[in-house]
Amino acid sequence: MAAVTIKRLVKQFGGLVAIDNLDVEVKEQSIHSIIGPNGAGKTTVFNCITGFYRPEGGDILLDDHSMVGLLPDQIVQHGIARTYQNIRLFPNLTAMENILVGLHSHLKAGYFGIVLGLPATRREEQEANDQALQLLNFVNLGGKGDLLAKNLPYGDQRRLEIGRALATRPKVLLLDEPAAGMNPKESQDLMDFIRHLRDELGITIILIEHQMRVVMGISEKVTVLDYGKKIAEGTPADVQSNPQVVEAYLGRGSSVQATRAAS
Amino acid sequence: MNPAQTQKLPGIRMGLIGGVCLVILALIGIVEAFNERHIVAGVISMGHTLLLLTAAFVAYLTAARSRHLGFGRALGHVLLAGLIMSAMLALLVLVGRAVNLRQVFINASPGLYQILMFHQESLAAGMALLLVAGLLTAFLAGLLHVAPQRLRRVLITALLGIVVVGLLQDLLQPILGVWAPLATMSGWLFEVSGLSLAGALGLAVLVAAVTALWSRQSAAVRARIQSLAPDRQRNLKWAAILIGLAVLLVLPGVLGIFLSEVLTIIGLYVLLGLGLNIVVGFAGLLDLGYVAFFAIGSYTVAILTSPEIGAYQLSFWQALPVAVVLGTLAGALLGIPVLKMRGDYLAITTLGFGEIIRILVLSDVLRPWLGGAQGIARIPKASILGFEFSGPQEIYYLLIAGCFLVGFVSWRLRDSRLGRAWMAMREDEDVAQAMGINLVSTKLLAFATGAGFSALSGAIFATKLGSVYPHSFNVMISINILCLIIVGGMGSMPGVIVGAVALVGLPELLREFAEYRLLVYGAALVAMMLLRPEGLWPEAMRKRELHDNLNGTGQPDAPRG
Repeated sequence: MAAVTIKRLVKQFGGLVAIDNLDVEVKEQSIHSIIGPNGAGKTTVFNCITGFYRPEGGDILLDDHSMVGLLPDQIVQHGIARTYQNIRLFPNLTAMENILVGLHSHLKAGYFGIVLGLPATRREEQEANDQALQLLNFVNLGGKGDLLAKNLPYGDQRRLEIGRALATRPKVLLLDEPAAGMNPKESQDLMDFIRHLRDELGITIILIEHQMRVVMGISEKVTVLDYGKKIAEGTPADVQSNPQVVEAYLGRGSSVQATRAAS
Repeated sequence: MNPAQTQKLPGIRMGLIGGVCLVILALIGIVEAFNERHIVAGVISMGHTLLLLTAAFVAYLTAARSRHLGFGRALGHVLLAGLIMSAMLALLVLVGRAVNLRQVFINASPGLYQILMFHQESLAAGMALLLVAGLLTAFLAGLLHVAPQRLRRVLITALLGIVVVGLLQDLLQPILGVWAPLATMSGWLFEVSGLSLAGALGLAVLVAAVTALWSRQSAAVRARIQSLAPDRQRNLKWAAILIGLAVLLVLPGVLGIFLSEVLTIIGLYVLLGLGLNIVVGFAGLLDLGYVAFFAIGSYTVAILTSPEIGAYQLSFWQALPVAVVLGTLAGALLGIPVLKMRGDYLAITTLGFGEIIRILVLSDVLRPWLGGAQGIARIPKASILGFEFSGPQEIYYLLIAGCFLVGFVSWRLRDSRLGRAWMAMREDEDVAQAMGINLVSTKLLAFATGAGFSALSGAIFATKLGSVYPHSFNVMISINILCLIIVGGMGSMPGVIVGAVALVGLPELLREFAEYRLLVYGAALVAMMLLRPEGLWPEAMRKRELHDNLNGTGQPDAPRG
């Protein structure tokens, strides 16, 4: 069964067609990668799924509910969470507070409950604190909850961002280049962690990644984009041997490029 | 100019900068205005103090910058800086006596030159004294820089102690007058204007001794408090809070009417600041029309209670909730059109909203209901169980109650789901939304809460003055409140109080500053941005508290909020 279905998605910026009739089906509890050269439209797909952009055409379904036209905060409540290519934490909040913000939509405290300090509100806040501490431990940031997000080292920031996304209790997690700037050892750890997320928490994972070692190592399915179009899809092995993919990444002599430009 | 060049001749560079500062201070009239009062009676006036402290500060900086040149050459640079500074003032005197500068600089009066020449009759003696004063000040400041750290701190504190006590004479004298032994001391300490010479020396020795003792003992005291059992620490904390409360409650009786009036003004600004702190400090929405809600609160109370309008004649307590509710609604209403705006655009729009309200209450069309330019007078005083909040000494309690209420609500909100949503929105609006935060309701709640607090202080303002006028609600109020939040520390609640005392209280106490209030604001803001961009009492204090808790147990203690 498909967790996320993208149907004939079109996104244009003025005259530029960033996504051109894209169809993708992401199986439930799978790890699905989207790859492609720079500017292929990968992050644009993420922005459409999470409601940052409103597509010009097509549909995005989460468990048969359309996500198109919903606001980002409504979409995250349906169970889609994401991280960002260039880390976007709340820099002047502590790691703990970053996670607590992620829990926001699961807390129910009302204005007067907060001001009056009603027992239900206090209990809820205490539980939220406990959960946030658990999540911090889960992403290996135990004991660093009181540090400002901006003061954390790069790797910790990446993991905190994933922790914050997990706090929203997503069914689908979109990771935008999580291994960027990581050395082989760190990206190996990250791969284990992503698998762990899927196996333990049953979260469907959609991944944008440039490090082919990571993509080929953990993906069950890979979709390749070029100029907003899907040019190949299949298992990592299929995709790697696909001549179109090789061409998109490396180019193949000037004559081939010329014909492509002409078409 | 490359860094190597600027390093080469710190004496000349700093001397010129300092000299320009001193000449400006003299020409804008601040020196002469300050000269009315003495810091130490018969010895030194406030005007001279200002000049000498500025010169000393510049010389100290010169010493810091030329330290790498070795003692002898550094001393040369420091003396050179002092010489240049006094030479520039001397030049000002010479030019001023030869040419009439008053057509441009209206404050360049003969009186000013008299002050700059230390009231010497002959020009030569005045010039000589000026140069000697510059050199001596620079020399002493330079020596201060090479003194051992502990000695330096003691000396600087003692000096500042004299200046501060001298400045705050009007405040301290009545306080000391309450208790006979202290009153005797006060008589010995103060002359009519300024400290007595003996008093100043005694004070310096006392402050120096206390500072020296504290610098040696503070670590030990802190360690002892730390080593107490947690419940005893808590008792200690509660005791401190109770003492603080008791002091707050007896304050107006001790201080008398004038100072209580100053306190009520500070209280009003604290109340306003706490409200704007929610909008600007927590939620990061730059609202420059904040005075509008203050006006709405005031006018609501005025219309509902004053017999001049006559339609309702409610009591203050009946009008107060209406004022707060109307203010809150107005806040939400203003929020709706500006939901999509950020930063500068939001600031400009809200600025316009503030002006709209002021112009509305000023308009002739609405005169029958809002009183027009003459405003609304005869607003009755509030009273409770026969206790009437008539003068500043009584209104003070109303404001204290308001501040506690608003402070409590802000504190609860800050450590809650809503407060975190505000701060997340301040940090990154898009990501906050992607975390499930509904931007519409979150923003509107921020605007509405802040506006409600503002309306509350407006209501108290109306009954305090007994009348409301459109010109009380100009844009400067909004700017003042914003300044005090920035100076105190964005998003920090104690910072609001510190900021209000510094920017609103001090100018009231130091009447000499009143005319130069905007200059002082500007200078204070520039200095803050350079030296302490996080504010006088930043929010980070809370972070450190949290830090200590986590270190102890691995778990944050007690539910937050």
